[in-house]
Amino acid sequence: MTKFAVFVLIFFLIISTLIIKNSTKEIEDEIYNVKENLLFLENRLKDSKLEFDYLSSSEKLLEFQKLYFENSLQKKSLQEIKTLKTYNSEIKIGNLTILGKNYE
Amino acid sequence: MNNSNRFILYDDKDEFEYNKNKADLDIKFNRVSFIFFVFFIISIIYSIHLIHLGSRKSDLSNSNQLKITNKLHRADIVDRNGSFLAKTVSSIDIGINPVDVIDQKKLLLNLGYIFRDKNYEPIKARLKKKKFFWFEKTITDNNYEKIMMLGDKSIQAEEKLLRIYPQKNLFSHIIGQIDNDNLGISGLEKSLDKQLKNNKISVQLTVDKNIQFLIREELLKYNKIFRAKGSATILMDVNNGEIISIVSLPDFDPNKREKIIDVNYINRATKGIYEFGSVFKTFTLAAAFNEKIIEPKTEFIDLPKSLTCDGSLIREYNNKISSNLTVEQILIQSGNIGSVRIGQKIGEEKYKLFLSKLGIIGGINFDIEEVGRPIKFNWGKCPLATASFGHGITTTLIQVVKAYSIIVNGGFDVNPTLVKKNKKTKKEKILNQDVTKKILPILRKIVSTKEGTAKLANVNGYEIGGKTGTANKVSGGVYSNKKINTFVSVFPTSKPKFILAVMLEEPEINEDYIYEYRDGSNFKLKGSPRNTAGWNSVEVAGHIIEKIGPILATKYNEVY
Repeated sequence: MTKFAVFVLIFFLIISTLIIKNSTKEIEDEIYNVKENLLFLENRLKDSKLEFDYLSSSEKLLEFQKLYFENSLQKKSLQEIKTLKTYNSEIKIGNLTILGKNYE
Repeated sequence: MNNSNRFILYDDKDEFEYNKNKADLDIKFNRVSFIFFVFFIISIIYSIHLIHLGSRKSDLSNSNQLKITNKLHRADIVDRNGSFLAKTVSSIDIGINPVDVIDQKKLLLNLGYIFRDKNYEPIKARLKKKKFFWFEKTITDNNYEKIMMLGDKSIQAEEKLLRIYPQKNLFSHIIGQIDNDNLGISGLEKSLDKQLKNNKISVQLTVDKNIQFLIREELLKYNKIFRAKGSATILMDVNNGEIISIVSLPDFDPNKREKIIDVNYINRATKGIYEFGSVFKTFTLAAAFNEKIIEPKTEFIDLPKSLTCDGSLIREYNNKISSNLTVEQILIQSGNIGSVRIGQKIGEEKYKLFLSKLGIIGGINFDIEEVGRPIKFNWGKCPLATASFGHGITTTLIQVVKAYSIIVNGGFDVNPTLVKKNKKTKKEKILNQDVTKKILPILRKIVSTKEGTAKLANVNGYEIGGKTGTANKVSGGVYSNKKINTFVSVFPTSKPKFILAVMLEEPEINEDYIYEYRDGSNFKLKGSPRNTAGWNSVEVAGHIIEKIGPILATKYNEVY
């Protein structure tokens, strides 16, 4: 009887392993596909980022400035740049210094 | 009757007695074990099958349509804001194996539809040779899709990985380049070779692409104006040693993969070994403050205009320099004789030890291998005198920047770095606190006062301080008239954060250049009066700070 029970147990384990493995195979394939797609999308994101880097590079921006905004974009000195802060619903304008904000 | 004489015969023919038969038992046992054995074998076969299923690759990767050359894997290099400085991109090459061609006419017709401008006569000739050949290299994704749609077995695609440098010349000296075997041959590509090959995560640097661009633009402009042979700048955070920008001109485009053999393309910021002249006077004063030998207001009376040492003449560069000077005035007016006197007070051993602490003499551990090692300095009475005003002693620009950072950051040791580190290292204090307190107001006065040698860099709002250095270049073992003009600036002097060093090699006087004074007088001067750092390197530094200053103030600070 014990031997029969062991046999049934082993048989049951083999069958259950087969069923589980078969069902996880589909999940594994899905995971693999998702991973592959993710890798593809990551590469696409990197390529887009590279394109963005190129188009927004200082070199390109200066080129665009010369082409389209020669008169509208002007260099600002540190004194001309101000910082703005709301404190207790009150707007405070501060000077920008090389060390950061200054609201004194 | 006597029972002992009786014989009883038993016929046990029909009698039953249970008796275990060993032979029967063996047969039964063997049957069970046989069944188990069969199941065991089945289970083993299934297990092997399961292991095979588990370890198999996806059908997609089994396809031999696209072979990927993984040999060339290399992680990207990005700047502190995540912009690509070096990137690995894939390109697809298409080859044809003539042996697998079924219908040559159909294949050529289809290919002709996709690649219309291609000359197919050589292709036809190659198809006849029956040997594999590359049909087209680096094709677009669109054309790749069209080719794969043909489903022709003879067409083989191979994905190759290319290393590109999107910033072109901008970081050529620090990024370096790789060879065709994915081996780093210079710069960070060489020093981080293993890390780049083994890691998939990008390596982040401390440099800022935009700041680098602006500094390089200014440097290129002033290189032309002062007709310099080459130049270099380093912008560094004095508190953590992070290099925000490092430029050396001339530079090169690593995408062209040229073999650089011209020595003029040396990395002047790290590899070039120079005498920096009066820039060393700051070290002399700092050493004396560190040893508590003098104070900024200590006076030196009756300083001669010149003195001789071992037959060599040491004199002031400007005879207008007074004979009675305080320590502060010696640095502001860049007095040679006063510096010699301070050096003599410090003594050879202590001065040598101080320079060694700052990392001026000896080598420097840096992230790239292209680092120069200062020429061995033979110390003595006269060498001490000349070294105290920066004559005869050599070092690299990166070492000068490191030394100035230590002096102005409160005396904490810093190591210049190009690679962003997430861990904060414990700061080691190597100088007395009052060295910084005493030296900073003097450096500021060099820029802010009329007597100072760096007035042209007094850009409003940045509290710039610094020291100029004009040195004659050694060529063929003797001093020539060619100059190495350097300006090391620190800003803001109230709480030093950045250090910017500008070095021009062999600049010349420009008689047409117009200087605009920054003292509010709107005074303009045409032509450089002298070929000194105060008239070229300082001017360049002023214009660089004016350009990058607003970015540093906003991007590198908590302003919101």
